Amino acid sequence: MPARPAPLLELVGVTKRFPGVVALDNVSFDLAAGEVHALVGENGAGKSTLINIVSGFFAPDAGKMTLAGQPVAWRSPVDARAQGIATVHQEADLFPTLSVAENMGLERGLPVGWGGWVRRARLDQQARDAVAQLDEPIDERQPAARLSVAQRHMVQIAAAVRQSARVLVLDEPTSALTAEESAWLFRQIRRLKTAGAGILYISHRQSEIFELADRITVLRDGRRVWTGASSTTTPEALIKQMVGRDRAAASGGVARRGTTVRQKARLEVQRLSAADGRFTEVSLRAYGGEILGVYGLIGSGRSEVAQTLFGLRQARGGALRIDGKATTAASPVRAVESGLAYLPEDRLRQSIFSGLSVRANTVISALNRLGHGWLTNAARERQSANQQRANLAIKCRDVEQPIAELSGGNQQKVVLARCLLMEPAVLILDEPTRGVDVASKAEIHRILRDQAEAGTAIVMISSELAEVVENSDRVLVFSDGRIAAEFEGDAISAEAIAAKALPGTTPGANVPKDRPGHKAFRRWRSETALVAANAAMILILAATTDAFLTLDNLWGLLATTAVWCILSLGAATTILAGAIDISLGSLLALSAGVGGLVLKAPYPAYMTIPAAVVAALAVGALGGLSNAAISLWGRVHPIVVTLGTMTVYRGLLIALTGGDTISELPEGFVNWSSARWLGVNGSAALGAATALAMYLWLNRFRGGRHVVAFGSSPTAARQVGISHARTWLAAFAAGGLLAALAGMLELSQTGSLQSGTGTGYELQAIAAAVIGGVSITGGRGSVGGVCLGALLLGLIYNGLVLWQVSRYHYELVTGGLLLCAVIADLAWRRLER
Amino acid sequence: MNRAFAGRWLPYVVPVSLLVAAALLVALQASRPLAVLDMWRPWGEIGALAVVMTAIILTGGIDLSVGSIVALSSVVMGLTWQAGWSLGTSMATGLLAGLAAGVTNGTLVVIGIAPLVVTLATMASFAGLAMALSRGERIAGLPEQFAALGQASWWGVPTQFMLFVLVGVAGWCVVHHTRYGRYLYAIGENREAAKFAAVPVRMVQWSLYTASGAVAALVAVVYTARGGAVVPTAGAGLELPTIACVVVGGTRVTGGRGGIGRTLTGVAILSLLDIGLQFLSGDVRVPWSDVPWRFSANTRLLLIGLLVIGVAVWNERATRQAATTT
Repeated sequence: MPARPAPLLELVGVTKRFPGVVALDNVSFDLAAGEVHALVGENGAGKSTLINIVSGFFAPDAGKMTLAGQPVAWRSPVDARAQGIATVHQEADLFPTLSVAENMGLERGLPVGWGGWVRRARLDQQARDAVAQLDEPIDERQPAARLSVAQRHMVQIAAAVRQSARVLVLDEPTSALTAEESAWLFRQIRRLKTAGAGILYISHRQSEIFELADRITVLRDGRRVWTGASSTTTPEALIKQMVGRDRAAASGGVARRGTTVRQKARLEVQRLSAADGRFTEVSLRAYGGEILGVYGLIGSGRSEVAQTLFGLRQARGGALRIDGKATTAASPVRAVESGLAYLPEDRLRQSIFSGLSVRANTVISALNRLGHGWLTNAARERQSANQQRANLAIKCRDVEQPIAELSGGNQQKVVLARCLLMEPAVLILDEPTRGVDVASKAEIHRILRDQAEAGTAIVMISSELAEVVENSDRVLVFSDGRIAAEFEGDAISAEAIAAKALPGTTPGANVPKDRPGHKAFRRWRSETALVAANAAMILILAATTDAFLTLDNLWGLLATTAVWCILSLGAATTILAGAIDISLGSLLALSAGVGGLVLKAPYPAYMTIPAAVVAALAVGALGGLSNAAISLWGRVHPIVVTLGTMTVYRGLLIALTGGDTISELPEGFVNWSSARWLGVNGSAALGAATALAMYLWLNRFRGGRHVVAFGSSPTAARQVGISHARTWLAAFAAGGLLAALAGMLELSQTGSLQSGTGTGYELQAIAAAVIGGVSITGGRGSVGGVCLGALLLGLIYNGLVLWQVSRYHYELVTGGLLLCAVIADLAWRRLER
Repeated sequence: MNRAFAGRWLPYVVPVSLLVAAALLVALQASRPLAVLDMWRPWGEIGALAVVMTAIILTGGIDLSVGSIVALSSVVMGLTWQAGWSLGTSMATGLLAGLAAGVTNGTLVVIGIAPLVVTLATMASFAGLAMALSRGERIAGLPEQFAALGQASWWGVPTQFMLFVLVGVAGWCVVHHTRYGRYLYAIGENREAAKFAAVPVRMVQWSLYTASGAVAALVAVVYTARGGAVVPTAGAGLELPTIACVVVGGTRVTGGRGGIGRTLTGVAILSLLDIGLQFLSGDVRVPWSDVPWRFSANTRLLLIGLLVIGVAVWNERATRQAATTT
């Protein structure tokens, strides 16, 4: 018998701890080349942590990892990917406004050439190759946001396959796929197997596991409890291992079952369905005096039902009654008024106000009860908080302690206290003991039992079998968006529940329907509208005035538009990066002021002019870099920073010029903007050159693409290793440079600079950018659009002058345009979703 | 100095030292203390605006349009009076205009646009509307009784101070002693969790921006009375010192931390600094160069800008460091 080959990937003694819980405890695991190794276990068993360590999201606290015999210590997912580990997560962050091809490229690093020039052709080819393996064609040039969840997964899998990954990690890959798509997936997996890759496959679907896997490993409570060939075990045996053979036997919790007397029905739900299809025709009853356990895997619809009842999701059809009274689940406020309380699933994001005290966290939902009308009564609040603290045995110094200092278990008790203070008829808890230590867990269960005995209807949603089995009087099992089974009393057993909870034998039986892609939106829709608007404006102006089509007017229009174009591109760059810079107007003035002062120095023109330009650009760049640096290092929002620097830069200008006007500049400089260079007006030439340069940088160079990517999704950017600091420094510096350029151009055109020059320019620049299609939230926009936006603004102002509208209406026009653009941007974003 | 101690007192270090420095500056320079009261008037108006701005910043939002609402309200009031209506009606119309502006802000924020963006756009729109309606003209000749509202002192106390006290007390009660105030902190701390905790987030936000508009309208009355005429560019740039008072006082821009008391400190600091510097007018010799630095209005504005940035950064970093306990 040949010796077993060295494992492809090996983990030895890996341990990982999080505050309050040990996620992985001395786990050793190996994956051989050419093998499919399935990883099973309940939620919370440690599967996600193991995957995240293998993928490079974080490092283990103890133990070591080797890949093909070499020890590894990757510091980021990008490193892991570079070594050949490809991971397809259940829920992956992507850059919604970037194309599918670019998303795929950013994950492994954009293919670049000299100076960071992105090899577009290669990027697109790689994407096309990956996508070609799919049965159904996907346009790799469309924005990634338009892909359905299934398509997203397929694309990621195809990319991983294409890259000839050495290790492929798949986390619940078929949860969103139809039967045909799953079959395609299995084909790819077999291909990789024969190519010698190792595949780590996490799934709850027994049928898949036994069809694909060579070996299976079971995790339970952070420990590896069993590993063996799939041929040597059965689904039932697996479940026993996942759950723990002796757990289902009699324990303290079970003994209490059946001792409480069921009281009246407090919650009645009839044929409730979700508007987005996550669950259908759910009917249930919850009675006072009993704990109703709800078990189901993530995606089975159980949390969605709870959130719909609480008014956080849209319902479709069905009736809801609390204590006999019919109510609608319109909003959380309404739900609480009707007597419903809800303990959310994600403690950190959905429950805790980490900066506030234990008292504040406890009483927030019951303030109307604890005060007189709108006034609060701090003494009563403290009293109630202390009472809850005693009842629930919350370990804290006193109720004024910041909740962030408490352990996870005690924090959860505080949230529970919040719910109990509402004196609800029905209390729905979603994963009440997730991330909670063992002692607090038992206490929380005891509290729930006491509440039930006192008459509250308790609905406990959990994906931890033991918890459900030990504490419930009745159990509802959710699967594929419906209630699959109901167990009561002695019929409750872990195996029975687990069996019913698993998704049907045919994958994709009840996959929630994704909304159909918006094929109506063509790629260039917003640009077409802009071109049309500009054309319309030109026609209107030509028709209603005599002066519009004169050469003088047109050159003037071109000149001002050039200045606006350059400045708006600067504003657009900062917005694209997910920030904003309202100091651009002052920066424009300051840079031009410095340039002007240099120009007036008593040296010959051929020295002062270049020196002035360089000085102005340097000032602009420095200003932009300062804005970015203060924002990044001080962790203050750019709006506050630039609000301050707006004043500082203006103040510096006045200090430098003493409040005087700068004028009488050298002729060579002043004539430059209106001179003809090879037949083209100087201003127009500069504007066009700038636009071209920005287009190239933002679209064809890695630095620019990173700026846009960061604005598209800061979280995804972090995952692929794009630096926040570098992108913002680059974006703000570019903004400052462009402001300086615009300032010098305007200085050349007007020949003078006052202390008030540039006031309000940033607003118009932002308006032009937003009108030009730049999304105010970042990550979306085009240079062409911004230029068209600046042109439109220029035409409108030209029109205001020619129609002799009083100049007192200009600001209103700017503001009104910006307002409309912002509202339109919101509508656009809503429709895209 | 252990961590807990630092955590509690560090945020107060900067405001208190600034306050002491500013007070010293004024005490040493002021030759006519009564003149100080008069110089304080604009800060009474800014202070009133800062009280509401505090509530808004507590929720993590911001209102950049307060200055423009002052302009709009003032212009509407002036135009109504010019059209022949009584003083009382004109003031009421002005107040209505400010309220409508606030409602606009509130509605746009509630439908989902970021407060920063909304108020940036309305800042331009309202100022533009004021300019357009008034056609850039001053409206003078307002009656004596009206001017008194902004220029008189009752029992030695300037009217601005009374407005400030009124708004300040009301604000303090609301923010620190009502349910509504608790909701502000919750929303600023964690908007998602506030929704889950059945806090009426939308209602709170809408009413906040509406209130901001209403208070700006009140300020417009006093501001216009002080100036003696309706000027279309009224209130331009008021948002900076307003936000400065809030930030310098110690309220965090990200929301959830701070309060009215802090803002009152901020108002005190900035007003004293500003007044003290006004006494320092004229040239000051910078030791290492020959260039005299003129302490002008420009310098004061510059200092405010620097203070906003410096203190905001300090607050964020100091409170963050103090909060990291393991």
